[in-house]
Amino acid sequence: MTIQSILNSLSSKGIISDRQADAIASFENEKAFSIHWELRSVLYLGILLFSSGAGVLIYENIDTIGHQAIIAAIACITVACFYYTYKNSLPYSREQVHNPNKFADYVLLLGCSTFLGLEGYIQYQYNVFGTRYGLAVMIPTILFFFCAYRFDHRGALSMAITGLASWLGLTIAPLSVLSGNDFSDGKLIIPAIALGSVLTATGWISEEQNVKKHFAFTYMLMGGNLACIAAQIGLFSYDPKTLYFVIGLGLCYFFILRARQAQSLLFLLMGTVYGYSILTYVIFTNLGADAAVGLGIFYFFFSSIGVIYFLLNFKKFLGIKK
Amino acid sequence: MKKAYNETWVENLHIQAQAAEWKAKNLLSEEQLEAVKEVFPEKFYRPGIFVKIGLFFFGVIACTFFVGFLSLFLYDGGSEVRFSMLSLICCVCFLFSLEFLIKTRNLFHSGVDNALLYAAVGAGIVPVFLVFENAPLWMYCLVGLAIVIPATLRYADLLGPVVIFGLLFTVLADLMMKFPLGKALLPFGVMILSAAIYFGSRKNKALYYRECKQILELLSLVTFYLGGNYLVVRELNAVISGLNVSIAPQIAFAPLFYMFTFIIPVLYVWVGLKTANRVLFIVGLLAFAFSAYTYLHYFSPLTGSQEMVLAGVLMIVASVALMKYLHTPRHGISDEQDRKRRYANLEAIIAAHQLGATPDGQGLEFGGGEFGGGGAGEVY
Repeated sequence: MTIQSILNSLSSKGIISDRQADAIASFENEKAFSIHWELRSVLYLGILLFSSGAGVLIYENIDTIGHQAIIAAIACITVACFYYTYKNSLPYSREQVHNPNKFADYVLLLGCSTFLGLEGYIQYQYNVFGTRYGLAVMIPTILFFFCAYRFDHRGALSMAITGLASWLGLTIAPLSVLSGNDFSDGKLIIPAIALGSVLTATGWISEEQNVKKHFAFTYMLMGGNLACIAAQIGLFSYDPKTLYFVIGLGLCYFFILRARQAQSLLFLLMGTVYGYSILTYVIFTNLGADAAVGLGIFYFFFSSIGVIYFLLNFKKFLGIKK
Repeated sequence: MKKAYNETWVENLHIQAQAAEWKAKNLLSEEQLEAVKEVFPEKFYRPGIFVKIGLFFFGVIACTFFVGFLSLFLYDGGSEVRFSMLSLICCVCFLFSLEFLIKTRNLFHSGVDNALLYAAVGAGIVPVFLVFENAPLWMYCLVGLAIVIPATLRYADLLGPVVIFGLLFTVLADLMMKFPLGKALLPFGVMILSAAIYFGSRKNKALYYRECKQILELLSLVTFYLGGNYLVVRELNAVISGLNVSIAPQIAFAPLFYMFTFIIPVLYVWVGLKTANRVLFIVGLLAFAFSAYTYLHYFSPLTGSQEMVLAGVLMIVASVALMKYLHTPRHGISDEQDRKRRYANLEAIIAAHQLGATPDGQGLEFGGGEFGGGGAGEVY
């Protein structure tokens, strides 16, 4: 099916006039091939490569290059990046800001990552913060939060959230919540749930109060996953189980409610999957081993069909008309 | 082969998408877009990617436990014939529920149907392995093809072309590895088969298989390049010959492969830009990055981190220069944003993942950013 055949069928149904069809056809013929996203991706990867490569390079040559020279160089890059971003930024607004400048977003990202490198280097070399690692983590976190709101940058926001989590000793990046965190001594579970809940609440509030509404997704995704996973690990391995059970189900309930309000499919899925695994776990631990083996097959078969039925009818549930 | 999904709806879906694109460019009015939706309707159940993942996940669980459920009644340990029977019965049940759900629920690659299809194909292939023991590898592959090709033709599933592609190359490699001459000519065999698949799949114009076709094109472009890539040929040659040395020995026809390594990416990018073929263009960029890596792997005076910094700087400079240059469209190429920024949230999360924020006493946090990945990223 070509452009021309689509145009023909549209005009034969009387939706567009022949003249409009000709105009669209000539537009399609003369349309330039856009490599917008390819160029952006190359730029983005270039920044990632450069900042991680520079980090390793400095680390390897830490004894041969003059320290002041390195620090001065990185500081220059960092300052230049922030200056450029500031110069080319639009005024703060509570709404999403669409900056027409092509590079501001990426320059800010580069600036943030070189700032981390700079701080790490100074700490490594001069031990400025001593053992007050908390302070060392808080400085970039605050800076990134500021940048995220001032320059409307979701990347800086997620870096700030990551920093906040690592201040508590947690890893929050969605793919490494399980592998990156050491929950084995149980001490981290409560902070993880607390931080996750606070982040989720922040996201909720920013949506309700209409302050940078588009940040809510990042807050809720990162915070919600952390809280739910921590609650589950707490439920599986530690006491008091009732507490973790209530927290976990409460979070899932919240996500499903949120999904109904915002008609968000991701939150619906999070609520469903975490809720399913929490309920399943509780049912099976309370049944005892013998009953569980006998019932397992029936339970999983019918319950998963139930979930599928639920997801197939989610539009009715979320109240989406179409 | 009769198609499982409603073909008219597939076409209408395409027309609607095209109309929405024109609407975004103000070539159509709001009323006209509504009229298009009215005249060319589609009623597929197409949830977002997250619900699809959930449906797939629970579909797999349901299928697995359905097998367990049946085996309670039908399978009492031991014989392979019983097991083959069981798996064939499952296959029939899965196919039946697949067709039933597609008909009644208007599914269209919605997760559950993917899960059921994979389960059915899997259950259909199991008896083959149990019945024909000790057959040569290529025999299994041919039987697999005999099952997967009709399934793909009917359901146009996206994993289908991937599996078909893998099986075809396994057959080729298995047959060529039996002879010494075949071993030496394997790279050329791979390149010829890739080219054949590429041009063969391009002939297919049916909208129903559009995405399958794209996957075949993508894969064959990649294997065509890798078949001619110097690094791949040299290292695999050493592996095939059973050499266990740290530096793989030089290969025959080396200059030819140098040439391939250099020319193919340039050709891809050039032709991709000329014909506005995005698949070709992006594969070309990735291939170019891998060629650079190939060169650095053998001839580089630099260390890994120096290469990363250099590559990063070059990529930043090149992309910025091109963005400036393409401020006004030139040579039929532009830097205009013609699709929405769909992955802004994803980009943010990748940023958190790759850059992180953990400067502590241990020095620097680094990692991430594979060199070979220089190119597309979030575009596809």
